[in-house]
Amino acid sequence: MERRDFLKLGGIVAAAGAVAPASSLLYASKVESKNGNKYGMVIDLTKCDGCGECVSACRTANNVATFPDEKINNHLLRIAHVKSKFPNSQEQAIPLMCMHCDNPPCVHVCPVKASFVRKDGIVLIDKHRCIGCRYCMVACPYKARSFVFKHHEGSSNPEVPKTMHGVVEKCEFCVSRVDHGQLPVCVETCKKGVMSFGNLNDKDSQVSRLITSGRVHRVREDLHLGAKVYYLGL
Amino acid sequence: MKIYFTKIDGKSKGMYALLAVLAIIAATGMYATYAMFAQGHYITGMNNQIPWGLPIAVAIYCIGLSAGSLVLSALSAVFGQKEFKPFARIAVFVAALLLVGSLLSIILDWGRPDRLMLPFLYLNPRSIFSWNGFLYSSYVFICIVYLWAMFTGRDSWIKPMGILAIIWAVGVHSGTGAIFGFINARELYHSPLASPTFVTAALSSGTALMILILVSTFKATGRFLDNRLIIGLAKLLGPFILVVLYFVTVEYVVRLYTPSTSEPTSFVLFGGNLYTYIFWVGLILLGSIIPCIILFNPMTKNSIPWIMFASLLVVIGVFCERLIFVLPGQIFPLNLFPDMEMTSDFMDGVITWYQVSVAEIAQGLGILSIVAILYIVGLKLFAMLPDEARHLDHEL
Repeated sequence: MERRDFLKLGGIVAAAGAVAPASSLLYASKVESKNGNKYGMVIDLTKCDGCGECVSACRTANNVATFPDEKINNHLLRIAHVKSKFPNSQEQAIPLMCMHCDNPPCVHVCPVKASFVRKDGIVLIDKHRCIGCRYCMVACPYKARSFVFKHHEGSSNPEVPKTMHGVVEKCEFCVSRVDHGQLPVCVETCKKGVMSFGNLNDKDSQVSRLITSGRVHRVREDLHLGAKVYYLGL
Repeated sequence: MKIYFTKIDGKSKGMYALLAVLAIIAATGMYATYAMFAQGHYITGMNNQIPWGLPIAVAIYCIGLSAGSLVLSALSAVFGQKEFKPFARIAVFVAALLLVGSLLSIILDWGRPDRLMLPFLYLNPRSIFSWNGFLYSSYVFICIVYLWAMFTGRDSWIKPMGILAIIWAVGVHSGTGAIFGFINARELYHSPLASPTFVTAALSSGTALMILILVSTFKATGRFLDNRLIIGLAKLLGPFILVVLYFVTVEYVVRLYTPSTSEPTSFVLFGGNLYTYIFWVGLILLGSIIPCIILFNPMTKNSIPWIMFASLLVVIGVFCERLIFVLPGQIFPLNLFPDMEMTSDFMDGVITWYQVSVAEIAQGLGILSIVAILYIVGLKLFAMLPDEARHLDHEL
C-alpha cells in the first residue's frame, strides 16, 4: 500500500470512529422511576448531637478509602457544624452525604454514564466504567464525592467491594444492604433515631409520614435538584 | 503569485540539539505521569476539595491556542485575505497539534486513562464532556482533511473546509467554556459568558502564539518572512485582547454586584492572595494593558521585536486567565448553607489552597514538548512551510 492510500484509509477510519458513536447523542435517555420503590431519607436534626458514630460505622462498612492526610481522605458521610452569622448563635450538627437527587448534576455531567440514577432513585457509580475525570466532583453542590487518590490496603468489610485507585466513590445508601432488605448502616447505627430510611412512594412509610407531618427542608433547595434526603429542624 | 511549499532540511546540529532537549523534557513528563499512577494521585496538587488542577488548565489552554492558528488559515481561505496564504498549511497543522496536546493532557489527567474508549462507547447527551469528546476528535479530523485538500491541490475544497473548520472551532471552544459555565453549584464557574469569553481568549492567545511560531520558525530555517504579514496579524491581536478584557470586566462586575456571588469574587479580585496577583498582574497588566499599549502605539506597533514581546505577554496572560478560570472556583469552598458558617473534618467552609506539584509541572511541560517535537518532525516530513512569505504587493 502506498503512503497516500494508507493516509487516506487512516482518515476514513478516524472519521468513522469520530462520527458513528456521536449519532447516539441525538436521542436523550430518560431516567424514570417506575411504580416500585423510591428510596429516601429523613434526618431529624433535633435529635442529632453530632457524636459521629454513623460516620465511623459508614467508613468500616463501606471500605471508605482512609488516609492520614486529610486532603485525600475520603468521606461518604460527614458531620458538618453549621451556625448562623448572628453573634453567639448555637452550632447545629448536620450529617451530610449524597442527597440522591432526582436531577443530579453529577449524572448529567458524566461523559460515560458511569454515574446513574437507579430506578429506585439511588444514585450509583459504575466503578468499572468510571474514567476518573472527576467532573462529577466539580459539579456536585454537596461535595458528596471523593476520588480514590491511591491504592489502599486492607478491607474492613469483605462483603462490599473496595473502590480502586483512580475512580470516584460516594454514598450509595448502602445499596447492597438495601437490596437484602436491610437498612443503610448509618441509619442502623444511630441509637438516637436521627435517621429514617424508606420508600417515598409508600404513603404509610415512616419517611413519608415524617415528610408530610412536619416542616422538612433539603440542602440547597434553590438548585432544584430534587434531593431525596430531607432534614427536620434545618 | 505562486507559493512553493517545501520540507525543512532538518539536518542542522542546532535542530538535533533542540529535539534532544525536547525529548528529555517529554520523557521526564511521561515519567511524572507514570509516577502518578504507580504511587497515587496524591503526588499531584489536587485533592478532594480541588479535583481539577494544572492539567485541566493546560488542556483548555492548548485548546484555546489552536483557535488562533485556524483563524489565520481561514483568513486567506474564507475571508479573502490572500496575503496570508503562505501560512495556510502551517496554521492548520499547528491547530491540529495543539488539539492533540490538549487531548493528551485531558486523558493523562484521568484516574483511568486505560478506559480511553469508553467515552466513545457510552455517550451521555446531557454531558458537555461527551459532546466535547466528539467535537475535539472530529476537529482534529477536519484539520487533517483540510490539510489533505491543500496538499493535494483540491482548491474547490479549501473554502468549504475552511468554513467548516471555523464553525467547528466555535463549537469546540464554546463547548470548552461550557464545561465551567454549566456548573450551577460553583459561583465562579456558572455563567453564560463562559463560552464567549473562552472563544475570544482563544482567538487572542492563538494569534499571539502564531506570531511567535511564525517569526521563530522562519528565522530558524532562514526563510524570508515579510514584516508586513506579521504586522497584519498584530493588527488583529489588539482588538482581540480588548474583547477579552471587555468580557472579563462584564463577568466580574456582575459577580461583584450580586450579593450571593460577591464574596468569592472579592476573594479573587481583592483577597491579596496568589490569584489576586495572577488576575491583576498576569491577566490585566501583563496580558492585556501592556500588549495593548504596544500594539496600538504608533512608535511600536510596526516593530517586529515589540510585536513579539507583546505576543509573548498575551500568551502568558491568557494562561493566567485559564488558571483564574479553573482554580478559584474550586478553592473557594462550596456554599451548602448560604449565609451561614460551616465547618467539618472534610475541609468544608475553609479555603483549601491548591499547591501545584513538581509532577504536574513536569507533565505539562512534557506534553508541550511532545507537541513541539511533532511540529518539528511534521515540518521535516511534509511540505508545510513556504520557501518565502512575501506580501502580495511584491508582485506589483
